[in-house]
Amino acid sequence: MSLKAILAILLCKALRLVSRLLHRGGTAMPGRFALKLCPNLLALLAKDVKSVAITGTNGKTTSARMVEEAFAGQGLNYFANRSGANLISGITTEFVMNCTLTGKMRKDYAVIECDEAAARMVFGQLKPQVILVTNLFRDQLDRYGEVTHTLENILEAVKGAPEALLCLNADCSLTASLADRLPNRVVYFGIDGSAVPARLKPEISDATHCIRCKTEYEYDYITYGHLGGFRCPKCGYRRHKADYAVTDIVQQRPDGSSVVMDIKGKKELADVNLPAMYNIYNAAGAVAAVSEMGLGVQAAIAALGRFKCGFGRMEPFDLGQGGATMMLVKNPAGCNQVIEFLQNIPGRFNLVVCLNDRSADGTDVSWIWDADFEGLAALSSRLENVVVSGDRAGDMRVRIKYAGIPDGRIAMERDYEKLVDWMARQEKPIYIMPTYTAMLELRQEVIKRCGGQDFWE
Amino acid sequence: MELRICHMYPDVLNLYGDRGDILCMSQRLKWRGLGVEVTRLPIGQTARLASYDLVFIGGGQDFEQQVLLEDLHRGKDREIRAAVEDGMPFLAICGGYQMLGNYYETYDGQRCDFIGAIDIYTVGSKKRMIGNYKFQCSPEAGGSLVVGFENHSGKTRLGSSVRPLGKVLSGYGNNGEDGTEGAHYKNVFGTYSHGPLLPKNPAFCDHLLLTALTRKYGAAELEPLDDTAELFAHDEMAAKL
Repeated sequence: MSLKAILAILLCKALRLVSRLLHRGGTAMPGRFALKLCPNLLALLAKDVKSVAITGTNGKTTSARMVEEAFAGQGLNYFANRSGANLISGITTEFVMNCTLTGKMRKDYAVIECDEAAARMVFGQLKPQVILVTNLFRDQLDRYGEVTHTLENILEAVKGAPEALLCLNADCSLTASLADRLPNRVVYFGIDGSAVPARLKPEISDATHCIRCKTEYEYDYITYGHLGGFRCPKCGYRRHKADYAVTDIVQQRPDGSSVVMDIKGKKELADVNLPAMYNIYNAAGAVAAVSEMGLGVQAAIAALGRFKCGFGRMEPFDLGQGGATMMLVKNPAGCNQVIEFLQNIPGRFNLVVCLNDRSADGTDVSWIWDADFEGLAALSSRLENVVVSGDRAGDMRVRIKYAGIPDGRIAMERDYEKLVDWMARQEKPIYIMPTYTAMLELRQEVIKRCGGQDFWE
Repeated sequence: MELRICHMYPDVLNLYGDRGDILCMSQRLKWRGLGVEVTRLPIGQTARLASYDLVFIGGGQDFEQQVLLEDLHRGKDREIRAAVEDGMPFLAICGGYQMLGNYYETYDGQRCDFIGAIDIYTVGSKKRMIGNYKFQCSPEAGGSLVVGFENHSGKTRLGSSVRPLGKVLSGYGNNGEDGTEGAHYKNVFGTYSHGPLLPKNPAFCDHLLLTALTRKYGAAELEPLDDTAELFAHDEMAAKL
C-alpha cells in the first residue's frame, strides 16, 4: 500500500466513525473523500477479495440478500454493501470498513450490489469473479435516460472485467444481448414457458423491437413486462436456453413461492422466501451466481428458503391488527408486479401509496401512468381504505382517480407520524407501496413504532 | 355525442406515461355520459385518419425512431398532412410533436426529414432540458395555465404560419431561448409536456375535447366536472415553479 492509500483508508475510517457518532449512516461520504485522495483505492483493496457483483434495473438488493444468505450458510468470511449504498463511493466505504489500517482485507468474499449507471466506474476496479445482471427496464428516465443507454453503460462496465463470468437473464432481450458483444464467459437464468400461463402480447413493453435489427419481436410466452420467450422473425436473435431454468411454479403464496428448477439438466425443488414472479427471477439469478462461485447448487437453494430481505422489499411489520407489508416500487415493471401480487392475495386490505420525486426516486413521476393502477381499481370491493402520501401525493391521487376509484374514497395523509398512527389502528392488513426515499422516511417512522433495524445495519 | 380517438404508435411512442393523456380524455368524456372509442394504430397498420375525430401522438425513445419514420413515409405522412389541413384536432407530445415538423437536425449536423405537417423544425443540442415546467396557453389555445414535465435535447423553432401554444413561465419550452412553448396550427396542439399533460391540466384537456366535439357536431358544450383532485395537484406544482 502506498502512503496515499493508507491516508485515504485512515480518512475514510475516521469520517465513518464521526458519521456514526452523529447518528448518520455515513455509507457514501467517507468513500467519496477517500477516492479523491486515492482514486484507485477500490482496486487496491478488491484484488484480494473474491466477489459477486449484482447490477440491473430491478431486484439487485433482493438478489444480493439471497447470495449473501448462501455465503453465510457456507460459513464464508464475507461482507456486503447491505445498505443500498451502491455507487462507487458507498462500495469503497464498505471495503475500507472491512480492511485493517494498513489496507489488508479482513474478509475473503464480498457481495456487491452496484447501481447500473455507476457500474462503469466500479467493475474495472472491483474485478468480480461473477457479475449477475438481473434485468433491464425503463427506470428514472430523467436520470438514466433511455433503457438502451443503461444497456450501453453495463456493456462498458463489464469491459473493465473481462475475466468475470456473466449471469444473464435469458428472458430479457436487452440483458441477454450483452453476451455477443463481450468476450466474457456467460451462463443464463430464466423462467421457461412451461412454468407460466400462455400470454403472447406484452401489456406494457420496454423493448418491443429487436435490439439487433429493430424488427418487432414475436413471443412464445411472456412472464411479465418484456420478459419471456422472445424471438426476432427477421435476424433470428432469440431467447437463449437457460442453464438455470425455472420449469414449473408449483405454488405462489402471499409469503413465498415453490418452484422447480432445472439446473444444467438436474431437477431441483426450491422454496423462495418472498412472493411474486419477480422474486422467482431474483431466486434463479441468485442460484446461478452462487453456483458459479463454486458453492454448489444445494447451498444456493437452501438459502432461498431462509433469507430475509427487509429494507422495504416485501418487508413485514407488526403494525395494526392485520400487519403491514412494505413493497418498494420504483418503475412501471416493478410496480405492475406488486399490483399483480395484490390481485392474488385473498380478502380485504388497506392500500397506502407514497410517491416522492426526489433525485433517488426520479424527478419525473409520469411513470405512474405507465403502471397498471387499473388493476388495483378492479379490486375496488376488496380495498378497505386507499391512502396517498409523499411529496407528490396529489399526482398519485389523480392517477388512482383516473384508474377508476372515486376521489371520495381516496384519503391523503402526508404526515408520516399521523399515517403510522392511522395504520396502527387498522384491523385489516396494510400494503404500502412507497418509492425509494418515501420508503426510507416512512420505514423510520414505522420502526419507531414497532421495531426493526436502522437502514445501515 | 361521441369522440373517436386515434392513438398513433402506442407500441413505440409510449414513454413517459403519455398513455395517461388517452386515459384522461376517455374518462372525462365518460364521466359526462359522452361516448369515446380509442383505436390503437401501431406500426405497420393502416387506417383512414379522416374517419377519426382526434389524433394523439405521444413521445418515445430514439431507439425506434428509424422504424417509425419508415412507417410514416409509407403514406401515413401524406394522410397526416391532409388531416391537419382539414382541421383535424391533433395532440402531439415531445417526439410526436417534433415529428409533425419539417426535420430534425442532430447536434453534429445530420438531417433527418420528418413529415412537414406543421412548419417547425428541431435542432439537437448537447444539453438536455429536463424538469417540471409551466406555461400560459395563448387565448386561442384556451388560455389556461399548464404544468408539465419536459425532457428533451432538441430545440424547436416555429415558422411564420405557426403560433406558439403558449408562453413559458418556468422551465425551457421549445428551445429555452425565445420563451415559447409548443405549437398551435389550425387544430394541431404540439407540446413538450409530458407529466402526462392532460390529467393535471383539466382545463386544457377540456379545451381539446371541446375543439374536437365542435368540429364534429358544429356546436358543443361540456358540463363541468368536480376537478378538486386535478386542481390540487395542478396548483401545488404551479406554486412550486
